[in-house]
Amino acid sequence: MKLESIARELDLTDLTPTLAGAAVAEVTAGYASDLLSDVLANAPEGGVLVTLQVHLNVVAVASHAELSAVIFTSGRAPDSEIVAKAMAEGLHLYATEADTFETVGRLFALGVKGGRDA
Amino acid sequence: MTPDPLMTVRADLHVHTALSPCGDDEMSPPAIVDAALAAGLDVIAVCDHNAAGNTGAVGEAAGSRLTVISGIEITTAEEVHIVGLFPTVTAAANAADEVRETLPVADDDYTRFFGEQYLMSADGTIYGREPRALAMATSLSLDEGVDLIRRYGGLVIAAHIDRPTFGVIAQLGFFPYEAGFDAVELSRHVPAGSPTIDGYAAYGLPVVRSSDSHYLEDVGCVATEFGLTAPTFRELVLALKHREGRVLTDA
Repeated sequence: MKLESIARELDLTDLTPTLAGAAVAEVTAGYASDLLSDVLANAPEGGVLVTLQVHLNVVAVASHAELSAVIFTSGRAPDSEIVAKAMAEGLHLYATEADTFETVGRLFALGVKGGRDA
Repeated sequence: MTPDPLMTVRADLHVHTALSPCGDDEMSPPAIVDAALAAGLDVIAVCDHNAAGNTGAVGEAAGSRLTVISGIEITTAEEVHIVGLFPTVTAAANAADEVRETLPVADDDYTRFFGEQYLMSADGTIYGREPRALAMATSLSLDEGVDLIRRYGGLVIAAHIDRPTFGVIAQLGFFPYEAGFDAVELSRHVPAGSPTIDGYAAYGLPVVRSSDSHYLEDVGCVATEFGLTAPTFRELVLALKHREGRVLTDA
């Protein structure tokens, strides 16, 4: 499923709206974790990360793990410095008031699977 | 003028007291001092979770026998543990007041699960209980936590960075160079002389080894040796910043 469709279906706030490529990025897998060493080790390439961790290192880890997007849950949003860094890395950031459980459930219902099943 | 000669100072810069919910109730000021002296330590830093209410009492119990540095171990919003070491008891207390403010009040369920948080006097008498839930993460981000410690003249050490829980690398994936740490701490789980220590040293910061003791028998089980002219906070600052010939070696 395309990122922009996911964003629409989940009513996500796009934190990086000027970043090109949202329409074409196809996402089939996802991962949910707040422990960034775990994300680094286990998140599927090209996948979407669902987290409430808003430290700058989310961007570094997501880039290194070659993820396509990060969804920040429970109304948490990173500061502007982090958004700028993500823009530079070509990483899409979204935010939602929904919590991680709710967000992952809705992604799953849209056909986005865990890394091992994708 | 001949510079003052350096003496070898053995320091365990991360010791909890019975104030920490997970700290053993036996971790009273006089018992900690006895354990530190028995372990051959010259300096300890008292670092309870998100609080500093017992540091003065440990210092008082030590008298001139042992240098006691007032510290704190802050749990940041990212659930990263950072150690702050302060020049005075008052600086630590003021910093701790700001940290504690961000925490919820402990209720009976909390205490049953996490344990008592005893405030003790120098002779080990329990005179009170810390009302805030010290086991919880504060609302301070890593950057805010580092800034807070700095505002009170403190040194900032990334706690037990080798550990899978609450260490900065486990929580944040990569070492955050921009955070502004003065040193990194390795736990007792990294054996002395382990080749992995070189990897941690590659962050370009001094590496200290501390016990993170929650039980008396663990005080001083690992330590760091410093070459200082005196066992004081100021000298420790100079050593960690590699100035004026002070040296730091893994003990």
